[in-house]
Amino acid sequence: MSGENADRDTITRLASEVVPALIERLAGSELGELEVREQGWRVRLRRPAASDGEAPQSGVAATGSKKPAPAASLGGHSGHSGQAGHSSTDGHGAWRELDGGLITSPAVGYFAPHGGIGVGSAISSGDLVGHVDVLGVRHEVVAQLGGTLEALEVEPGEAVEYGQPIARVTPERLVADV
Amino acid sequence: MFSKILIANRGEIALRILRACRRLEIAAVVAYSEADRESRAVQLADEAICIGPAESRRSYLSAPALLSAALVTGCDAIHPGYGFLSEDDTFAEMTRAHGLAFIGPPAEVLERFGSKAGTRTLLARHGLPTIAGSSMLRDDAHGVAEAEKIGYPVLIKPSAGGGGKGMRMVRSQRELQQAMTVCRSEALAAFGDDSLYLEKWLEENRHVEVQVIVDRYGNGVHVGERDCSVQRRHQKIIEEGPSPALDQGRREALAEAAIQAVVAAGYENLGTLEFLLDRDGNYYFIEINCRIQVEHPVTEMLFGIDLVAEQIRIAAGEPLGFTQQDMQSRGHAIEFRINAEDSANDFRPQAGVVERYLPPGGPGVRVDSHLYSGYDVPPYYDSLLGKLIVWGQDRPTAIARSRQALNELVIDGLVTNVPLHRALLAHPTFLDGEFTTNLLDRVGSGAFLAAAKAA
Repeated sequence: MSGENADRDTITRLASEVVPALIERLAGSELGELEVREQGWRVRLRRPAASDGEAPQSGVAATGSKKPAPAASLGGHSGHSGQAGHSSTDGHGAWRELDGGLITSPAVGYFAPHGGIGVGSAISSGDLVGHVDVLGVRHEVVAQLGGTLEALEVEPGEAVEYGQPIARVTPERLVADV
Repeated sequence: MFSKILIANRGEIALRILRACRRLEIAAVVAYSEADRESRAVQLADEAICIGPAESRRSYLSAPALLSAALVTGCDAIHPGYGFLSEDDTFAEMTRAHGLAFIGPPAEVLERFGSKAGTRTLLARHGLPTIAGSSMLRDDAHGVAEAEKIGYPVLIKPSAGGGGKGMRMVRSQRELQQAMTVCRSEALAAFGDDSLYLEKWLEENRHVEVQVIVDRYGNGVHVGERDCSVQRRHQKIIEEGPSPALDQGRREALAEAAIQAVVAAGYENLGTLEFLLDRDGNYYFIEINCRIQVEHPVTEMLFGIDLVAEQIRIAAGEPLGFTQQDMQSRGHAIEFRINAEDSANDFRPQAGVVERYLPPGGPGVRVDSHLYSGYDVPPYYDSLLGKLIVWGQDRPTAIARSRQALNELVIDGLVTNVPLHRALLAHPTFLDGEFTTNLLDRVGSGAFLAAAKAA
């Protein structure tokens, strides 16, 4: 295997397994920051400023990664509990809720699940979960990680906003040794 | 009248539109990007809907996202505010095609007045003196040829948008060639459109604009002028009305000429005709802004009207409820744009948490701002934190009240341009009403700040 392929595999694993696990770990602790080193890679997760008075930037910095902040966008969904509309941000609660198993809406529109997808379905990272209809144009809803579909957060045909949780997935395996 | 309006903008103008909706008892949905989740407009709205990530192109500049948001929330109209898609005729047309009303001029009016060069020709035909300028530049060579025809110095201007982005004054062919590339990329980043045109540059000019209100049935009134001569790099900093540069006779002649020309040319909704005024008091039409403007509160203070509410009524098809005789200006009003920028360090934009925010008050003092203590100003958008508008029965009273209001205003945690406003209010050129658009750039704002400190 070439070095480039190895890097890509590591990045995929960091994004789909280590980061969700780290988020969960951080949420369940009183820590302000968590850092993991592995095979020359470093992933650091920091709580948003609101909960610890640190720098305003929150998110994940994966040194050497081409996608520096996969969780920064997750952080942006803080305070969402499924409904479109107002939010109240609570740093701790937000992170706890984002257990890494959420699939979110890529656009504003009406959600339709993919045929054959339902609670209990086994899905892999990259699988099509459904689509959001934006003025007649389909925007694919793709699973960001593999596992078992635990719940659909919205009904078929329901209106969703950008970033709204659509489905909850139990990851197939968590990295236990972080 | 509409039952529910989607507010397709952010910051202070989203709040301003929300207030107009409340006044008219119309429900309001605020469309917001992920970066604006904690904004004041989102907190106050009847409903709020996230339309995309922080990046404007995928949120406030995304027609599909905004239209879809309006449809899923059951709105029957969209208010685009200023900037973003406010003067985009394609967006206005798409809005109509989806059965929604666009709160602004109809698509065909936006299209007719969309070309700056075309509008100059059109309004010249209806009696307005215009400034020499080019058509849309096809390429750099075309730009060079047009500049030769007009004669240097010329001003490079983007066809879309405003706010001084993508604008440069150049005095030679070499400067022009260098600046066109920069202006194109600035215009593309700000408006998603990199087309440019040229305009003759007048030295020592003043910027005076006339606010017009025209309904669907061809009834139009003007509500006076605003003087926006205090600018830095073509960005307005202070606006006031009436203009200290016009006597009553010239003022009325200018406003009359403006309203007659736009009504004759088929304009509809709110609009602002911008003019340059030379040293001899001659005026030249430069462009029309087919939207509500940042400085609209100056006019609201003078005439006691709600321009955003009028805009909504006109878009709903209502005829004007007043005539020119009903529109009487009273006193003097000044607006200060409060920006999160460091005047002492090349106006670098600032972002971060507003630790403490205390707005001023008292007679004649109005603050239009989306700030609150603890608000985190996102780094993705323009640096406007709000506007302080001060009214007095005459200009000296308005200035005295402005000083007091600026002293009361507290915005802790961010560097703002308030020191520059204080310095301008101490400067004899401003006090004498003699400001020209190039003064701040020629003298340098540092000199104003230093002079104010020494005094």
